Amino acid sequence: MARVRLEHITKRYDDVTAVDDVSMEIEDGEFVTFVGPSGCGKSTTMEAVAGLTRPTEGKVYIGDDDVTDLAPKDRGVAMVFQNIALFPHMDVYENISFGLRLRKYDDEEVRRRVEQAADIVQLEGMLDRMPDEMSGGQRQRVAIARAIVRDPDVFLMDEPLANLDAKLRVHMRTELQRLHKELETTIIYVTHDQAEAMTMSNRIAVLNEGKLQQIDPPLTCYNEPANRFVAGFIGSPSMNFVEGELVDDGVRTKNFAVEFDPAQVPATSVGDEITLGVRPEDVHLADYADSLTRPTRSIDATTDVLEPMGDEVFVYILLDETVDGTMESKETMENQLLMSVSPDTDIEADERVDVVLDGSKIHLFDSTTGEALVHGIGDLAERGPGTTVTEAE
Amino acid sequence: MTDPTDSTDPTTATDSSDTRGIDDGSDGQPRDPTLHRPDGGTVLERDSEAELDRGPFQQWVANSISNPERAYRAMFYVAAIFFLFTTLFPFYWLLMVALTPEGQLQDIVFTPNGFNPGAFVEVFQVIPFHVYMFNSFVIALGSTILVLIIASLAGYAFGRLEFPGRTPLMLLVLIISFFPPAAFFIPLNDLFNTHFAILRPITGDGTIYNTPFALVTPLSAIFMPLAIFILTTFYSQIPDGLEDAARVEGTTRLGALFRVIIPLSAPGVATAGVLTFIAVYNEFFFSFLMTDGQPENWAPILDGILAYQGQYQVLYNLMAAASIIGVIPVAILVVIAQEKIVSGLTAGALKE
Repeated sequence: MARVRLEHITKRYDDVTAVDDVSMEIEDGEFVTFVGPSGCGKSTTMEAVAGLTRPTEGKVYIGDDDVTDLAPKDRGVAMVFQNIALFPHMDVYENISFGLRLRKYDDEEVRRRVEQAADIVQLEGMLDRMPDEMSGGQRQRVAIARAIVRDPDVFLMDEPLANLDAKLRVHMRTELQRLHKELETTIIYVTHDQAEAMTMSNRIAVLNEGKLQQIDPPLTCYNEPANRFVAGFIGSPSMNFVEGELVDDGVRTKNFAVEFDPAQVPATSVGDEITLGVRPEDVHLADYADSLTRPTRSIDATTDVLEPMGDEVFVYILLDETVDGTMESKETMENQLLMSVSPDTDIEADERVDVVLDGSKIHLFDSTTGEALVHGIGDLAERGPGTTVTEAE
Repeated sequence: MTDPTDSTDPTTATDSSDTRGIDDGSDGQPRDPTLHRPDGGTVLERDSEAELDRGPFQQWVANSISNPERAYRAMFYVAAIFFLFTTLFPFYWLLMVALTPEGQLQDIVFTPNGFNPGAFVEVFQVIPFHVYMFNSFVIALGSTILVLIIASLAGYAFGRLEFPGRTPLMLLVLIISFFPPAAFFIPLNDLFNTHFAILRPITGDGTIYNTPFALVTPLSAIFMPLAIFILTTFYSQIPDGLEDAARVEGTTRLGALFRVIIPLSAPGVATAGVLTFIAVYNEFFFSFLMTDGQPENWAPILDGILAYQGQYQVLYNLMAAASIIGVIPVAILVVIAQEKIVSGLTAGALKE
């Protein structure tokens, strides 16, 4: 059990920078998830912690020790791999005990610890099977048992559930959380699936193009994304973004205006380009406006496509556009919004609707840098400022 | 390409059909299946009719055209029988020569002139042939072990690491194996006959000549590229995750090679090992030249067989018997390892 500290980790391959100056501190016993799209550097960062990759620059600390130059075997880490990576020529017992046998534990101790680990991941009675005689879920358990049997300081998991089917993945997700509760070991978990990141972690580290975008608890990443990338990546379906301009009385976009005191938005002035972000569940039909604390003015739109999911319905709506003083609906990506409504809502495709946005859930981003400016805006007259972003990273 | 005036043109033949033909009975149409050509051959209109007139060979050809499988199978048998004959007949002949008593070799045809299995014992009595065999075995085994160790390390580097100049280096290694061994002989022979003080405690006179090293060193070098090539292919196919897993679990890179990569590449290692062993064991050029031919000086089987050839007499029956005995270790090795070799040679190209 140990803290992990990354200091200015950079990894360059020839002319590609896989990881660009990533620093973070992971507390003892914390479950931190690295999340981001393919090629964002999350796996490389983890490999740097494991010692499988030597960072071009920067230092890795586990506990209080600088481990940057140590071999993987001397770092006190254990890893679960995406392709599971069980040794195919060894049975389950040999696989789990591999690390212990290398460290010359006596047979009695090895047997005891293997059985204990197998017990934790519910593999009793399978110790003499070969990996190719097991199902995907069982192999994954063996891989986890192999990692926990050495009682490592830090647990590294590189997309361990990616190769499992959807049902098993959800099941293993809870198993891993249970395991974390039981072992109280520091866990670093890599995934591209934001749902896994949201459900399991104490904190999420969002990476993109080798840079750390934000590292915060899941709900903070969800409710107060540090920038447009995090806002778009966390949450499914993705947040709606509308380009607009900061004006005297709020934000004006091509399709609608949202009124508030522009002084709420720090580090900007009237005339600046602003991106307005709002999640699908914060777009409502105008009938619901009364139940919202800060509804915006109603916006005229036409429904386009409906995607019933069972527990909710995703509605693609096309916003009316003001062209030469007349309002008309045009089918372009820019004036399309995704709205999430409850399944008993009476709504059909190609229907005229009025929608409102929940002002307290609107995010404003700087259009050029993508940095978040405000999360939730008050309205012009009565209400005070929303949560402003103090430090822009 | 039908010449309008050619009476053998099948289309003309149909047009000018008269009634003296045989009715084939299937469609009730009278036909003339046997229009006579000037050269005495016939023109046939349909395959089914053809079978009535063709000889067995023509019929076989016609069937083969409609069913090429037959032709391929026949070609396979012809090639296989030819190959078996050319490889096995010399062995048969060796056995006949070995069994024929000394001095009666003049007119053996397919059976031995007499029966003298005692030749197989005599080979060991005339000269210490078992010592030559032992020498060959040690040299082949030593070379194989040396080749496998070095080629494993090279195969690991070429197959699993990215480094500048990897491809040119690999090509260079392969190119070296294309050189004729004779090109190396003079410098090597000179080198091996040089006295090195440092070697005096090991070899007596300080030279490598007349020691197993004089054979193991050049032969390992010559057969190394093939082994490197085979092992590179195998090692490169072991998933990176397995090596990473082994390293995180507690091995070094080298440890991962020996504990995970090599065991998983067993067919490849077996193939490289067996091929090297056979190649060294069968090698002629250096084997003939790098020792003085005395059994106590690590002369291999080759010198043993040639030792039955005296100034005034050649003991062909003993040479033949010794040759057969010499083949036995390799034959046993191939029988034991054949499954691995076949899977090793083919699996190299496949990935799961």
